[in-house]
Amino acid sequence: MSSFLVALAPLLVVGLGGLLLMLGEAFAHRERGGSGPSADLAIGSFVTLAAGAVVAFSLWLVGPENLGGAAGVAPFLIIDRFTLFFDIVLCVGGALAALLAGGYLPEHKLDRGEFYPLLIFSTLGAMVLASAGDLLSLFIGLETMSLGVYALVGFRRGSARSAEGAVKYFLLGSFAAALLLYGGAMLYGATGHTDLAGIGAALRGGTLTGADYGLAIVAMVLVLAGLAFKVSAVPFHMWTPDAYEGAPTPATSFMAVAVKSAAFATLLRVLVSAFGDPASMSWGTGWPPVVALLAVMTMTVANLVAGRQESVKRMLAYSSIAHAGYLLVAVVALMTQPGIAQGSILFYLLAYTVSTAGAFGALILCGSRGKEAVSYEDLAGIGHRHPVAAAAFALFLLSLTGVPPTAGFFAKLYVVRAAIGGGFLPLAILLLLNSVVAAYYYLRVLVYMYMREPAPGAPVAAPMRSGYVTAALLICAAGVMLLGLWPTRSLELAIDAALAAR
Amino acid sequence: MGKFEIALFALCAAISIAGALVTVGARRPIRSALGLLATILGVAGCYLLLEAQFLAAIQLIVYAGAVVVLFIFVVMLLGSASTSPRDAKSAVPRYIGAGLFLAGSLAALLLILRIGTKVEQVLPPTPAGFGSVEGVGGELFTRYVVPFELAGALLIVAVIGAMAVARGKQPDPTLRPAAEAAGAAPPGASERGATEPAPGGKSAEPHGGA
Repeated sequence: MSSFLVALAPLLVVGLGGLLLMLGEAFAHRERGGSGPSADLAIGSFVTLAAGAVVAFSLWLVGPENLGGAAGVAPFLIIDRFTLFFDIVLCVGGALAALLAGGYLPEHKLDRGEFYPLLIFSTLGAMVLASAGDLLSLFIGLETMSLGVYALVGFRRGSARSAEGAVKYFLLGSFAAALLLYGGAMLYGATGHTDLAGIGAALRGGTLTGADYGLAIVAMVLVLAGLAFKVSAVPFHMWTPDAYEGAPTPATSFMAVAVKSAAFATLLRVLVSAFGDPASMSWGTGWPPVVALLAVMTMTVANLVAGRQESVKRMLAYSSIAHAGYLLVAVVALMTQPGIAQGSILFYLLAYTVSTAGAFGALILCGSRGKEAVSYEDLAGIGHRHPVAAAAFALFLLSLTGVPPTAGFFAKLYVVRAAIGGGFLPLAILLLLNSVVAAYYYLRVLVYMYMREPAPGAPVAAPMRSGYVTAALLICAAGVMLLGLWPTRSLELAIDAALAAR
Repeated sequence: MGKFEIALFALCAAISIAGALVTVGARRPIRSALGLLATILGVAGCYLLLEAQFLAAIQLIVYAGAVVVLFIFVVMLLGSASTSPRDAKSAVPRYIGAGLFLAGSLAALLLILRIGTKVEQVLPPTPAGFGSVEGVGGELFTRYVVPFELAGALLIVAVIGAMAVARGKQPDPTLRPAAEAAGAAPPGASERGATEPAPGGKSAEPHGGA
């Protein structure tokens, strides 16, 4: 029984930490006009989520195969190195968002305690989603994560833009979840299994009748569509810019980082465990051409539209769509090079997590209440007015572009290598061309920050100062440089994790 | 499955689909709520046919008994004023959308039937005690204990989320009289999506008096 709890330790730490913080907040006495709930909760949430990451890492060191209890929670939760890797990535993403919120919420008079439990439990849902080996727990994890994020997007209640984003995200998200559920029901009808391994075995066994096989194919399309919505692949991306723009920036960072990582984790698990049979994995009769089409559309559309945005937050939203497209290229490469492709995806998500969370953090630091940095014009001359924020922003944008000494360079390199090694040269070339397009709008921010001065009388963003945001930026910067200068060790970890997912 | 069961299933399924169409298409909220009730009753009938009698009872007690009644209370309390002018517009586009969706679903179904020839029973027969209170409880707390506990986390998130969205209502500076808004927000902020309330205004103090 106790080993059962050890195997679940990362989830338990995060869940119990969230409950304790909520209880503590309910009984906290605060004077009017004193410091808001963020003062305690931001640190508390950061510690909780960081503890989750540490516990996951210690389980990694022990080796999940040595845990007796891991079999007890299967097939609902699969505790392997793949899961633990994602637990770490998701906890880091959540912890960074908590730190960003500690600076952002008080500054923008949104300082309500509900933000932090929502963040923590969304992270918990994301962790469940990443470890789910059964359609039941997959759906519960997905909904736990999504419900929390819907509320986070609508957190700024007075704003029409926030409400619009939240309603769009909620309606489309529920529809996508319904598609996924419908696909899941069809899979159960076709194979008689809800666990991914059982579905995979039934498809691999070749014992399905024609109608059942057809049902499984339709189900595969529905499940893919549901997951493509969550990773915001074109053409399922319509909600992304509005939701990202309407949400408070820490929540945007969480969505871009943790929600996307968890969705990719479950996409990998579903494609490898359930639809990993030779027929489904082949170019002629399976999912690779569909995913390749999604990847091409996602990269191209997102980059072309991102270049035309005037709002920096919207630009970052489209950029996150584009990154999903690059990752989908590696997903296609699973077909021929499963180990290397998965390892490159995991490494990419790690690098993307620190770069994107950092970029949103720097954007927060560039603006203050009533003078938020929204458009490129707002950022004009910020390099002189707030050198720290500008330098951090520049670093993270260079990493997102994929410039050599940063994490983003190696992340893209490994994805391209996996694509070329897997025999998908056209996709790799398209990825590189898209990166060039992306460089235009990333570097445009740098041009505005360092080479432009604001027009006289134009509204400019007033930089804010916050220890929390600075701390988050330091962590991200350390991550970006570490992954950029010494990528081998983390890549080895990522490949270990990828090989564990069978 | 005998002919009688198939007829019963068709009846229940037809009731629930018709109810769902009414829920989505009705112009008055009260009719939507009653359509939802019909859907829930139809689904409860499907549960009964699947020998899940306990689940059917719970479906009736919780959804038909509590949830729909709550909806109806809210609709009645808000009255006819809650219908927005947009709802009074022609329902034709809605019916077109519903028709397209229906046609698409039918096409998908036919496609599935075309691909294969016959549907075989792959599901194992229901074990003894299936669908009883003991059966459901036993499964819930042994084999499915992990998803069951996770569902608890899902409910917590739903409650906090509902609270966060309901409690956070703050006046929108862009909707205020111009003079007041000008004092509250710096010029140019309103079109830039600045949405903070006026300092000292009716800002909800989240902790303390509540």
